[in-house]
Amino acid sequence: MTLLKHEIGQNRKALLIWTLCIGFACFGCILLFESLEESMEQMAGAYAQMGAFSTALGLDRLSVSTMNGFYAAEVALMFAIGGAMFAAMTGAAIVAKEEEGHTSEFLNTLPLGRGYIIGWKYAAMALLIFLFNLICVIWILAGFAAAGEMPDRKAFTLYHGAQMLMQLEVGSICFLASAFFKRKQIGAALGFSVLLYMMDLMCRIVPDIEGLKYVTPYYFSNATDIFSAGSVDGKMLAVSVCVTAFCACMAAFVYRKRDLAA
Amino acid sequence: MSDNAIEICNLTKTYGKHRGVDRISLTVKEGDIFGFLGPNGAGKSTTIRSMLGMLRFEAGEIRLLGMDVKKQQNEILRQVGYMPSEAMFYPSMKVKDVIAFAARARKLDCRKEADRICGLLEVDREKKIEELSLGNRKKVSIVCAMQHRPRLLILDEPTSGLDPLMQEAFFRLIQEYNRQGTTCFLSSHVLSEVKRYCKNAAMIKEGKLVRADSVENLAKSDLRLVKVRINGQEQKFTHAGNMKELIRRLDGMELEDVLIEEPSLEELFMHYYETEEKV
Repeated sequence: MTLLKHEIGQNRKALLIWTLCIGFACFGCILLFESLEESMEQMAGAYAQMGAFSTALGLDRLSVSTMNGFYAAEVALMFAIGGAMFAAMTGAAIVAKEEEGHTSEFLNTLPLGRGYIIGWKYAAMALLIFLFNLICVIWILAGFAAAGEMPDRKAFTLYHGAQMLMQLEVGSICFLASAFFKRKQIGAALGFSVLLYMMDLMCRIVPDIEGLKYVTPYYFSNATDIFSAGSVDGKMLAVSVCVTAFCACMAAFVYRKRDLAA
Repeated sequence: MSDNAIEICNLTKTYGKHRGVDRISLTVKEGDIFGFLGPNGAGKSTTIRSMLGMLRFEAGEIRLLGMDVKKQQNEILRQVGYMPSEAMFYPSMKVKDVIAFAARARKLDCRKEADRICGLLEVDREKKIEELSLGNRKKVSIVCAMQHRPRLLILDEPTSGLDPLMQEAFFRLIQEYNRQGTTCFLSSHVLSEVKRYCKNAAMIKEGKLVRADSVENLAKSDLRLVKVRINGQEQKFTHAGNMKELIRRLDGMELEDVLIEEPSLEELFMHYYETEEKV
Protein backbone atom coordinates (compact mmCIF):
# COMPACT_ATOMS: atom_id res chain seq x y z
CA MET A 1 0.00 0.00 0.00
CA THR A 2 2.92 2.36 0.79
CA LEU A 3 4.21 2.01 -2.74
CA LEU A 4 0.74 2.38 -4.28
CA LYS A 5 0.22 5.71 -2.49
CA HIS A 6 3.73 6.77 -3.46
CA GLU A 7 3.17 5.97 -7.15
CA ILE A 8 -0.19 7.72 -7.26
CA GLY A 9 1.44 10.77 -5.69
CA GLN A 10 4.29 10.65 -8.20
CA ASN A 11 1.88 10.42 -11.16
CA ARG A 12 -0.67 12.90 -9.83
CA LYS A 13 0.40 15.73 -12.13
CA ALA A 14 0.44 13.61 -15.29
CA LEU A 15 -2.99 12.22 -14.43
CA LEU A 16 -4.37 15.71 -13.89
CA ILE A 17 -2.97 17.03 -17.18
CA TRP A 18 -4.13 14.06 -19.27
CA THR A 19 -7.62 13.93 -17.77
CA LEU A 20 -7.95 17.67 -18.20
CA CYS A 21 -6.83 17.52 -21.84
CA ILE A 22 -8.78 14.45 -22.94
CA GLY A 23 -11.79 14.94 -20.65
CA PHE A 24 -12.18 18.59 -21.51
CA ALA A 25 -11.69 17.94 -25.24
CA CYS A 26 -14.46 15.29 -25.13
CA PHE A 27 -16.67 17.62 -23.09
CA GLY A 28 -16.18 20.44 -25.60
CA CYS A 29 -16.71 18.17 -28.58
CA ILE A 30 -20.04 16.92 -27.19
CA LEU A 31 -21.16 20.51 -26.70
CA LEU A 32 -20.26 21.23 -30.32
CA PHE A 33 -22.84 18.71 -31.50
CA GLU A 34 -25.74 21.04 -30.89
CA SER A 35 -24.33 23.77 -33.11
CA LEU A 36 -23.18 21.26 -35.74
CA GLU A 37 -26.40 19.21 -35.74
CA GLU A 38 -27.72 20.58 -39.03
CA SER A 39 -24.47 20.29 -40.94
CA MET A 40 -23.95 16.83 -39.43
CA GLU A 41 -27.10 15.62 -41.20
CA GLN A 42 -25.56 16.59 -44.53
CA MET A 43 -22.19 15.16 -43.53
CA ALA A 44 -23.78 11.87 -42.49
CA GLY A 45 -24.91 11.30 -46.05
CA ALA A 46 -21.48 12.14 -47.42
CA TYR A 47 -19.70 9.94 -44.84
CA ALA A 48 -21.90 6.98 -45.74
CA GLN A 49 -20.76 7.26 -49.40
CA MET A 50 -17.05 6.95 -48.63
CA GLY A 51 -16.93 3.19 -49.25
CA ALA A 52 -14.15 1.38 -47.41
CA PHE A 53 -13.40 4.36 -45.22
CA SER A 54 -17.03 4.53 -44.13
CA THR A 55 -16.72 0.87 -43.15
CA ALA A 56 -13.42 1.44 -41.42
CA LEU A 57 -14.81 4.28 -39.36
CA GLY A 58 -18.14 2.53 -38.81
CA LEU A 59 -20.04 5.32 -40.50
CA ASP A 60 -22.03 2.84 -42.59
CA ARG A 61 -23.69 1.60 -39.40
CA LEU A 62 -24.09 4.78 -37.39
CA SER A 63 -25.21 8.22 -38.38
CA VAL A 64 -23.15 11.15 -37.13
CA SER A 65 -26.34 13.20 -37.18
CA THR A 66 -27.48 11.48 -33.94
CA MET A 67 -25.84 12.12 -30.58
CA ASN A 68 -24.92 8.43 -30.15
CA GLY A 69 -23.45 8.27 -33.65
CA PHE A 70 -21.60 11.56 -33.24
CA TYR A 71 -20.17 10.42 -29.92
CA ALA A 72 -19.10 7.00 -31.25
CA ALA A 73 -17.60 8.29 -34.50
CA GLU A 74 -16.01 11.55 -33.40
CA VAL A 75 -15.64 11.95 -29.64
CA ALA A 76 -14.85 8.33 -28.75
CA LEU A 77 -11.98 8.26 -31.26
CA MET A 78 -10.28 11.09 -29.41
CA PHE A 79 -10.87 9.36 -26.09
CA ALA A 80 -9.59 6.01 -27.41
CA ILE A 81 -6.32 7.39 -28.80
CA GLY A 82 -5.77 9.70 -25.82
CA GLY A 83 -6.54 6.94 -23.33
CA ALA A 84 -4.23 4.44 -25.02
CA MET A 85 -1.45 7.04 -25.11
CA PHE A 86 -1.87 7.75 -21.39
CA ALA A 87 -1.86 4.04 -20.57
CA ALA A 88 1.19 3.38 -22.78
CA MET A 89 3.09 6.27 -21.25
CA THR A 90 2.24 5.27 -17.69
CA GLY A 91 3.13 1.61 -18.28
CA ALA A 92 6.40 2.43 -20.03
CA ALA A 93 7.60 4.74 -17.27
CA ILE A 94 6.45 3.21 -14.02
CA VAL A 95 9.22 0.61 -13.62
CA ALA A 96 12.04 1.94 -15.82
CA LYS A 97 11.91 5.42 -14.26
CA GLU A 98 13.61 4.02 -11.15
CA GLU A 99 16.73 2.98 -13.00
CA GLU A 100 16.71 6.02 -15.27
CA GLY A 101 16.34 8.36 -12.30
CA HIS A 102 18.88 6.35 -10.24
CA THR A 103 16.27 5.80 -7.51
CA SER A 104 16.29 2.04 -8.04
CA GLU A 105 19.02 1.58 -5.42
CA PHE A 106 17.00 3.51 -2.82
CA LEU A 107 13.77 1.64 -3.53
CA ASN A 108 15.23 -1.84 -3.90
CA THR A 109 17.29 -1.69 -0.74
CA LEU A 110 14.19 -1.05 1.36
CA PRO A 111 12.77 -4.30 2.75
CA LEU A 112 9.97 -4.52 0.22
CA GLY A 113 11.08 -7.26 -2.16
CA ARG A 114 11.01 -7.20 -5.93
CA GLY A 115 7.73 -9.13 -6.11
CA TYR A 116 6.07 -6.53 -3.89
CA ILE A 117 7.55 -3.64 -5.90
CA ILE A 118 6.49 -4.96 -9.30
CA GLY A 119 3.08 -6.04 -7.98
CA TRP A 120 2.24 -2.67 -6.44
CA LYS A 121 3.64 -0.80 -9.42
CA TYR A 122 1.29 -2.78 -11.65
CA ALA A 123 -1.58 -2.05 -9.27
CA ALA A 124 -0.67 1.64 -9.37
CA MET A 125 -0.70 1.61 -13.18
CA ALA A 126 -4.11 -0.10 -13.20
CA LEU A 127 -5.45 2.39 -10.65
CA LEU A 128 -4.13 5.34 -12.66
CA ILE A 129 -5.87 3.97 -15.76
CA PHE A 130 -9.07 3.51 -13.75
CA LEU A 131 -8.86 7.07 -12.37
CA PHE A 132 -8.17 8.42 -15.86
CA ASN A 133 -11.29 6.68 -17.16
CA LEU A 134 -13.40 7.70 -14.18
CA ILE A 135 -12.51 11.38 -14.46
CA CYS A 136 -12.91 11.41 -18.24
CA VAL A 137 -16.29 9.67 -18.02
CA ILE A 138 -17.39 12.34 -15.52
CA TRP A 139 -16.33 15.03 -18.02
CA ILE A 140 -18.12 13.20 -20.84
CA LEU A 141 -21.33 12.70 -18.86
CA ALA A 142 -21.18 16.35 -17.86
CA GLY A 143 -20.97 17.17 -21.56
CA PHE A 144 -23.99 14.99 -22.34
CA ALA A 145 -25.91 16.56 -19.46
CA ALA A 146 -25.02 20.05 -20.68
CA ALA A 147 -26.08 19.12 -24.21
CA GLY A 148 -29.39 17.86 -22.81
CA GLU A 149 -29.16 14.37 -24.30
CA MET A 150 -27.77 11.28 -22.60
CA PRO A 151 -26.12 8.40 -24.52
CA ASP A 152 -27.47 4.85 -24.80
CA ARG A 153 -26.65 3.56 -21.31
CA LYS A 154 -25.80 -0.03 -22.22
CA ALA A 155 -23.62 0.85 -25.20
CA PHE A 156 -21.90 3.63 -23.25
CA THR A 157 -21.13 1.31 -20.31
CA LEU A 158 -19.92 -1.47 -22.59
CA TYR A 159 -17.79 0.92 -24.60
CA HIS A 160 -16.08 2.47 -21.59
CA GLY A 161 -15.58 -0.95 -19.98
CA ALA A 162 -13.96 -2.21 -23.19
CA GLN A 163 -11.85 0.95 -23.41
CA MET A 164 -10.54 0.43 -19.90
CA LEU A 165 -9.60 -3.14 -20.75
CA MET A 166 -7.97 -1.95 -23.97
CA GLN A 167 -5.94 0.64 -22.08
CA LEU A 168 -4.98 -1.95 -19.48
CA GLU A 169 -3.73 -4.23 -22.28
CA VAL A 170 -1.70 -1.43 -23.91
CA GLY A 171 -0.41 -0.39 -20.48
CA SER A 172 0.52 -3.98 -19.60
CA ILE A 173 2.50 -4.46 -22.82
CA CYS A 174 4.41 -1.25 -22.10
CA PHE A 175 4.77 -2.28 -18.44
CA LEU A 176 6.47 -5.47 -19.62
CA ALA A 177 8.83 -3.40 -21.76
CA SER A 178 9.45 -1.17 -18.76
CA ALA A 179 10.51 -4.20 -16.70
CA PHE A 180 13.14 -5.02 -19.34
CA PHE A 181 14.63 -1.59 -19.99
CA LYS A 182 16.79 0.69 -17.90
CA ARG A 183 15.36 3.80 -19.56
CA LYS A 184 11.81 5.00 -20.03
CA GLN A 185 10.75 4.34 -23.62
CA ILE A 186 8.03 7.02 -23.70
CA GLY A 187 8.42 7.88 -27.39
CA ALA A 188 8.27 4.24 -28.43
CA ALA A 189 5.26 3.67 -26.16
CA LEU A 190 3.32 6.57 -27.67
CA GLY A 191 4.27 5.39 -31.15
CA PHE A 192 3.15 1.88 -30.25
CA SER A 193 -0.28 3.08 -29.15
CA VAL A 194 -0.74 4.99 -32.43
CA LEU A 195 0.51 1.96 -34.40
CA LEU A 196 -2.18 -0.19 -32.77
CA TYR A 197 -4.79 2.36 -33.86
CA MET A 198 -3.43 2.29 -37.42
CA MET A 199 -3.62 -1.53 -37.37
CA ASP A 200 -7.28 -1.30 -36.44
CA LEU A 201 -7.96 1.15 -39.24
CA MET A 202 -6.02 -0.89 -41.83
CA CYS A 203 -7.47 -4.28 -40.97
CA ARG A 204 -10.95 -2.86 -41.43
CA ILE A 205 -10.06 -1.62 -44.94
CA VAL A 206 -7.77 -4.38 -46.26
CA PRO A 207 -9.36 -7.86 -46.04
CA ASP A 208 -5.94 -9.60 -46.41
CA ILE A 209 -4.80 -8.29 -43.03
CA GLU A 210 -8.05 -8.90 -41.22
CA GLY A 211 -6.19 -11.13 -38.76
CA LEU A 212 -4.69 -8.00 -37.21
CA LYS A 213 -7.99 -7.52 -35.41
CA TYR A 214 -6.73 -10.11 -32.89
CA VAL A 215 -3.53 -8.11 -32.44
CA THR A 216 -4.86 -4.62 -31.91
CA PRO A 217 -7.06 -4.05 -28.85
CA TYR A 218 -8.62 -1.04 -30.60
CA TYR A 219 -10.67 -3.51 -32.64
CA PHE A 220 -12.78 -5.03 -29.88
CA SER A 221 -13.15 -1.68 -28.11
CA ASN A 222 -14.22 0.22 -31.22
CA ALA A 223 -17.02 2.64 -30.36
CA THR A 224 -18.96 2.43 -33.62
CA ASP A 225 -18.98 -1.41 -33.40
CA ILE A 226 -20.19 -1.35 -29.80
CA PHE A 227 -22.76 1.41 -30.28
CA SER A 228 -24.18 -0.25 -33.43
CA ALA A 229 -24.15 -3.87 -32.13
CA GLY A 230 -24.80 -3.13 -28.48
CA SER A 231 -22.25 -5.81 -27.50
CA VAL A 232 -18.53 -6.59 -27.33
CA ASP A 233 -16.92 -9.55 -29.13
CA GLY A 234 -16.31 -12.09 -26.34
CA LYS A 235 -13.55 -13.96 -28.20
CA MET A 236 -11.47 -10.85 -28.67
CA LEU A 237 -12.17 -9.79 -25.11
CA ALA A 238 -10.73 -13.13 -23.96
CA VAL A 239 -7.62 -12.59 -26.12
CA SER A 240 -7.17 -9.17 -24.53
CA VAL A 241 -7.49 -10.56 -21.00
CA CYS A 242 -4.94 -13.29 -21.81
CA VAL A 243 -2.44 -10.81 -23.30
CA THR A 244 -2.86 -8.51 -20.28
CA ALA A 245 -2.36 -11.36 -17.79
CA PHE A 246 0.62 -12.73 -19.72
CA CYS A 247 2.34 -9.34 -19.84
CA ALA A 248 1.78 -8.73 -16.12
CA CYS A 249 3.15 -12.18 -15.15
CA MET A 250 6.07 -11.93 -17.59
CA ALA A 251 6.99 -8.47 -16.25
CA ALA A 252 7.08 -9.86 -12.71
CA PHE A 253 9.23 -12.80 -13.84
CA VAL A 254 11.70 -10.59 -15.72
CA TYR A 255 11.96 -7.97 -12.96
CA ARG A 256 12.60 -10.55 -10.25
CA LYS A 257 15.38 -12.21 -12.22
CA ARG A 258 17.39 -9.41 -13.71
CA ASP A 259 20.20 -7.21 -12.47
CA LEU A 260 19.11 -3.75 -11.42
CA ALA A 261 21.16 -0.70 -12.26
CA ALA A 262 21.77 1.92 -9.60
CA MET B 1 24.88 -18.24 15.53
CA SER B 2 27.88 -16.98 13.57
CA ASP B 3 29.55 -13.85 14.90
CA ASN B 4 30.27 -12.69 11.37
CA ALA B 5 28.12 -9.85 10.09
CA ILE B 6 29.28 -10.41 6.53
CA GLU B 7 30.47 -13.65 4.96
CA ILE B 8 31.27 -13.59 1.26
CA CYS B 9 32.52 -16.82 -0.23
CA ASN B 10 33.88 -17.04 -3.80
CA LEU B 11 31.62 -14.30 -5.13
CA THR B 12 31.79 -14.16 -8.91
CA LYS B 13 29.85 -11.72 -11.02
CA THR B 14 30.36 -10.87 -14.69
CA TYR B 15 28.51 -8.45 -16.95
CA GLY B 16 28.39 -10.39 -20.19
CA LYS B 17 31.99 -10.45 -21.35
CA HIS B 18 33.02 -7.79 -18.86
CA ARG B 19 34.59 -8.50 -15.52
CA GLY B 20 32.72 -7.70 -12.36
CA VAL B 21 34.31 -9.49 -9.45
CA ASP B 22 36.18 -12.77 -9.45
CA ARG B 23 36.02 -15.26 -6.56
CA ILE B 24 35.93 -12.68 -3.78
CA SER B 25 35.95 -14.09 -0.27
CA LEU B 26 35.63 -11.86 2.74
CA THR B 27 34.40 -11.93 6.32
CA VAL B 28 33.52 -9.03 8.58
CA LYS B 29 32.99 -9.63 12.29
CA GLU B 30 29.96 -8.21 14.08
CA GLY B 31 30.80 -4.88 15.68
CA ASP B 32 33.60 -4.09 13.25
CA ILE B 33 34.13 -0.95 11.18
CA PHE B 34 35.46 -2.43 7.99
CA GLY B 35 37.02 -0.48 5.14
CA PHE B 36 36.70 -1.69 1.57
CA LEU B 37 39.35 0.00 -0.51
CA GLY B 38 39.90 0.06 -4.22
CA PRO B 39 40.20 2.32 -7.24
CA ASN B 40 37.25 3.21 -9.46
CA GLY B 41 35.99 0.19 -11.38
CA ALA B 42 37.75 -2.29 -9.10
CA GLY B 43 34.49 -4.03 -8.14
CA LYS B 44 33.56 -2.33 -4.85
CA SER B 45 30.04 -1.37 -5.94
CA THR B 46 29.52 -4.74 -7.67
CA THR B 47 30.35 -6.47 -4.39
CA ILE B 48 28.08 -4.18 -2.38
CA ARG B 49 25.19 -4.41 -4.84
CA SER B 50 25.51 -8.20 -4.86
CA MET B 51 25.33 -8.11 -1.06
CA LEU B 52 22.09 -6.15 -1.23
CA GLY B 53 20.45 -8.38 -3.85
CA MET B 54 20.49 -5.78 -6.61
CA LEU B 55 22.72 -7.99 -8.74
CA ARG B 56 22.17 -11.68 -9.43
CA PHE B 57 25.64 -13.18 -9.13
CA GLU B 58 26.63 -16.36 -10.96
CA ALA B 59 28.68 -18.10 -8.33
CA GLY B 60 29.49 -17.92 -4.66
CA GLU B 61 27.56 -17.29 -1.51
CA ILE B 62 26.85 -14.19 0.51
CA ARG B 63 25.55 -14.27 4.07
CA LEU B 64 24.69 -11.10 5.93
CA LEU B 65 23.88 -11.31 9.64
CA GLY B 66 23.86 -15.09 9.26
CA MET B 67 21.25 -15.05 6.46
CA ASP B 68 21.58 -15.99 2.81
CA VAL B 69 21.03 -12.97 0.53
CA LYS B 70 19.45 -15.11 -2.16
CA LYS B 71 16.88 -16.64 0.17
CA GLN B 72 16.28 -14.07 2.91
CA GLN B 73 16.77 -10.77 1.16
CA ASN B 74 13.87 -8.94 2.82
CA GLU B 75 14.78 -10.16 6.28
CA ILE B 76 18.32 -8.92 5.71
CA LEU B 77 17.25 -5.54 4.33
CA ARG B 78 15.09 -5.00 7.40
CA GLN B 79 18.26 -5.00 9.52
CA VAL B 80 20.55 -3.23 7.09
CA GLY B 81 21.02 0.46 6.43
CA TYR B 82 22.47 1.30 3.04
CA MET B 83 23.90 4.54 1.80
CA PRO B 84 24.58 4.51 -1.95
CA SER B 85 27.38 6.57 -3.47
CA GLU B 86 25.04 8.59 -5.67
CA ALA B 87 22.27 9.29 -3.12
CA MET B 88 19.42 9.85 -5.57
CA PHE B 89 15.79 10.28 -4.52
CA TYR B 90 12.56 11.31 -6.17
CA PRO B 91 13.20 14.94 -7.22
CA SER B 92 9.66 16.25 -6.66
CA MET B 93 9.43 14.89 -3.10
CA LYS B 94 10.21 16.88 0.01
CA VAL B 95 13.05 15.64 2.23
CA LYS B 96 10.64 14.87 5.09
CA ASP B 97 8.48 12.78 2.75
CA VAL B 98 11.45 10.74 1.52
CA ILE B 99 12.52 10.04 5.11
CA ALA B 100 8.94 9.12 6.08
CA PHE B 101 8.59 6.90 3.00
CA ALA B 102 11.75 4.96 3.93
CA ALA B 103 10.43 4.49 7.49
CA ARG B 104 6.96 3.42 6.28
CA ALA B 105 8.53 0.87 3.94
CA ARG B 106 10.11 -0.65 7.06
CA LYS B 107 6.80 -0.45 8.91
CA LEU B 108 8.56 1.45 11.69
CA ASP B 109 8.05 4.74 13.45
CA CYS B 110 11.52 6.24 13.23
CA ARG B 111 10.57 9.87 13.81
CA LYS B 112 12.56 10.29 17.01
CA GLU B 113 15.83 9.00 15.58
CA ALA B 114 15.23 10.76 12.25
CA ASP B 115 14.70 14.07 14.09
CA ARG B 116 17.90 13.55 16.04
CA ILE B 117 20.05 12.75 12.97
CA CYS B 118 18.47 15.58 10.98
CA GLY B 119 19.39 17.93 13.84
CA LEU B 120 22.97 16.69 13.99
CA LEU B 121 23.48 16.96 10.24
CA GLU B 122 21.46 20.18 9.85
CA VAL B 123 19.07 18.68 7.31
CA ASP B 124 16.38 21.05 5.99
CA ARG B 125 13.36 18.76 5.80
CA GLU B 126 11.06 21.24 4.08
CA LYS B 127 13.18 21.44 0.92
CA LYS B 128 12.45 19.44 -2.20
CA ILE B 129 15.05 16.88 -3.28
CA GLU B 130 15.55 18.70 -6.60
CA GLU B 131 16.72 21.77 -4.66
CA LEU B 132 19.48 19.88 -2.84
CA SER B 133 23.20 19.67 -3.63
CA LEU B 134 24.97 16.30 -3.66
CA GLY B 135 26.20 16.92 -0.11
CA ASN B 136 22.69 17.62 1.16
CA ARG B 137 21.31 14.57 -0.67
CA LYS B 138 24.03 12.55 1.06
CA LYS B 139 22.75 13.81 4.41
CA VAL B 140 19.22 12.64 3.52
CA SER B 141 20.73 9.32 2.56
CA ILE B 142 22.45 9.08 5.95
CA VAL B 143 19.13 9.68 7.71
CA CYS B 144 17.37 7.03 5.58
CA ALA B 145 20.17 4.54 6.25
CA MET B 146 20.35 5.10 10.00
CA GLN B 147 16.90 6.12 11.27
CA HIS B 148 15.84 2.51 11.91
CA ARG B 149 19.00 1.77 13.93
CA PRO B 150 20.26 -1.06 11.70
CA ARG B 151 22.48 -3.92 12.83
CA LEU B 152 24.61 -3.54 9.71
CA LEU B 153 25.46 -0.33 7.87
CA ILE B 154 26.70 -0.61 4.31
CA LEU B 155 28.10 2.66 3.06
CA ASP B 156 29.31 3.16 -0.49
CA GLU B 157 31.75 6.08 -0.64
CA PRO B 158 29.84 7.86 2.11
CA THR B 159 31.84 11.04 2.43
CA SER B 160 32.04 12.12 -1.21
CA GLY B 161 30.27 15.45 -1.46
CA LEU B 162 30.24 16.11 2.29
CA ASP B 163 32.21 19.09 3.60
CA PRO B 164 34.92 18.37 6.24
CA LEU B 165 32.68 19.44 9.13
CA MET B 166 29.90 17.13 7.98
CA GLN B 167 32.41 14.33 7.42
CA GLU B 168 33.41 14.70 11.08
CA ALA B 169 29.77 14.69 12.19
CA PHE B 170 29.11 11.67 9.99
CA PHE B 171 31.98 9.65 11.46
CA ARG B 172 30.94 10.63 14.98
CA LEU B 173 27.55 9.10 14.17
CA ILE B 174 29.19 5.98 12.74
CA GLN B 175 31.28 5.57 15.87
CA GLU B 176 28.24 6.11 18.09
CA TYR B 177 26.26 3.44 16.22
CA ASN B 178 29.27 1.15 16.28
CA ARG B 179 29.56 1.53 20.06
CA GLN B 180 25.95 0.40 20.26
CA GLY B 181 26.79 -2.74 18.27
CA THR B 182 26.23 -1.75 14.64
CA THR B 183 28.68 -3.24 12.17
CA CYS B 184 29.86 -0.79 9.49
CA PHE B 185 31.11 -1.76 6.07
CA LEU B 186 32.34 1.24 4.17
CA SER B 187 33.75 1.36 0.70
CA SER B 188 36.08 4.19 -0.04
CA HIS B 189 39.08 5.31 -1.95
CA VAL B 190 39.95 7.83 0.71
CA LEU B 191 42.66 6.03 2.60
CA SER B 192 42.89 8.53 5.45
CA GLU B 193 39.31 7.87 6.59
CA VAL B 194 39.83 4.10 6.49
CA LYS B 195 43.06 4.49 8.44
CA ARG B 196 41.41 6.74 11.01
CA TYR B 197 38.10 5.01 11.58
CA CYS B 198 38.34 1.36 10.46
CA LYS B 199 39.63 -1.56 12.46
CA ASN B 200 39.96 -3.91 9.49
CA ALA B 201 40.12 -3.39 5.75
CA ALA B 202 40.32 -5.16 2.43
CA MET B 203 41.73 -4.00 -0.85
CA ILE B 204 40.20 -4.91 -4.17
CA LYS B 205 41.75 -4.45 -7.58
CA GLU B 206 40.48 -5.47 -11.01
CA GLY B 207 37.74 -7.55 -9.47
CA LYS B 208 40.02 -9.53 -7.18
CA LEU B 209 40.65 -9.19 -3.50
CA VAL B 210 44.34 -8.41 -3.01
CA ARG B 211 44.56 -8.06 0.78
CA ALA B 212 42.25 -8.30 3.75
CA ASP B 213 43.61 -7.71 7.21
CA SER B 214 43.55 -5.38 10.17
CA VAL B 215 44.49 -1.82 9.27
CA GLU B 216 47.47 -2.21 11.61
CA ASN B 217 48.70 -5.37 9.85
CA LEU B 218 48.09 -3.93 6.42
CA ALA B 219 50.54 -1.20 7.27
CA LYS B 220 53.02 -3.87 8.41
CA SER B 221 53.25 -5.65 5.09
CA ASP B 222 56.34 -7.35 3.64
CA LEU B 223 56.34 -4.62 1.04
CA ARG B 224 59.43 -2.47 1.25
CA LEU B 225 60.05 0.94 -0.12
CA VAL B 226 63.56 1.00 -1.54
CA LYS B 227 65.36 4.28 -2.19
CA VAL B 228 68.66 4.06 -4.03
CA ARG B 229 71.20 6.63 -5.28
CA ILE B 230 72.95 5.75 -8.51
CA ASN B 231 75.30 8.24 -10.21
CA GLY B 232 73.98 10.99 -7.93
CA GLN B 233 70.38 10.36 -8.92
CA GLU B 234 67.75 9.11 -6.49
CA GLN B 235 65.41 6.35 -7.55
CA LYS B 236 62.53 4.78 -5.66
CA PHE B 237 60.82 1.41 -6.04
CA THR B 238 58.80 -1.04 -4.02
CA HIS B 239 59.68 -4.65 -3.40
CA ALA B 240 57.37 -7.33 -2.06
CA GLY B 241 58.36 -10.74 -0.79
CA ASN B 242 61.70 -12.48 -0.49
CA MET B 243 64.57 -10.32 0.83
CA LYS B 244 67.23 -12.45 -0.94
CA GLU B 245 65.65 -11.49 -4.24
CA LEU B 246 65.88 -7.83 -3.29
CA ILE B 247 69.54 -8.22 -2.39
CA ARG B 248 70.23 -9.96 -5.70
CA ARG B 249 68.43 -7.11 -7.46
CA LEU B 250 70.49 -4.50 -5.63
CA ASP B 251 73.70 -6.44 -6.22
CA GLY B 252 73.64 -5.67 -9.94
CA MET B 253 73.35 -1.92 -9.38
CA GLU B 254 76.09 0.70 -9.07
CA LEU B 255 74.84 1.84 -5.69
CA GLU B 256 76.10 4.95 -3.93
CA ASP B 257 73.47 4.73 -1.19
CA VAL B 258 70.49 2.58 -0.30
CA LEU B 259 67.61 3.00 2.13
CA ILE B 260 65.07 0.21 2.71
CA GLU B 261 62.05 1.15 4.77
CA GLU B 262 58.52 0.02 5.55
CA PRO B 263 56.00 1.86 3.38
CA SER B 264 53.27 3.98 4.88
CA LEU B 265 49.69 2.76 4.40
CA GLU B 266 49.32 5.35 1.64
CA GLU B 267 52.31 3.94 -0.23
CA LEU B 268 51.02 0.43 0.31
CA PHE B 269 47.66 1.47 -1.07
CA MET B 270 49.27 3.07 -4.10
CA HIS B 271 51.31 -0.08 -4.67
CA TYR B 272 48.12 -2.09 -4.99
CA TYR B 273 46.51 0.61 -7.11
CA GLU B 274 49.20 0.61 -9.74
CA THR B 275 48.69 -1.85 -12.54
CA GLU B 276 52.39 -2.35 -13.14
CA GLU B 277 55.14 -1.88 -10.69
CA LYS B 278 57.26 1.07 -11.70
CA VAL B 279 60.96 1.14 -10.91
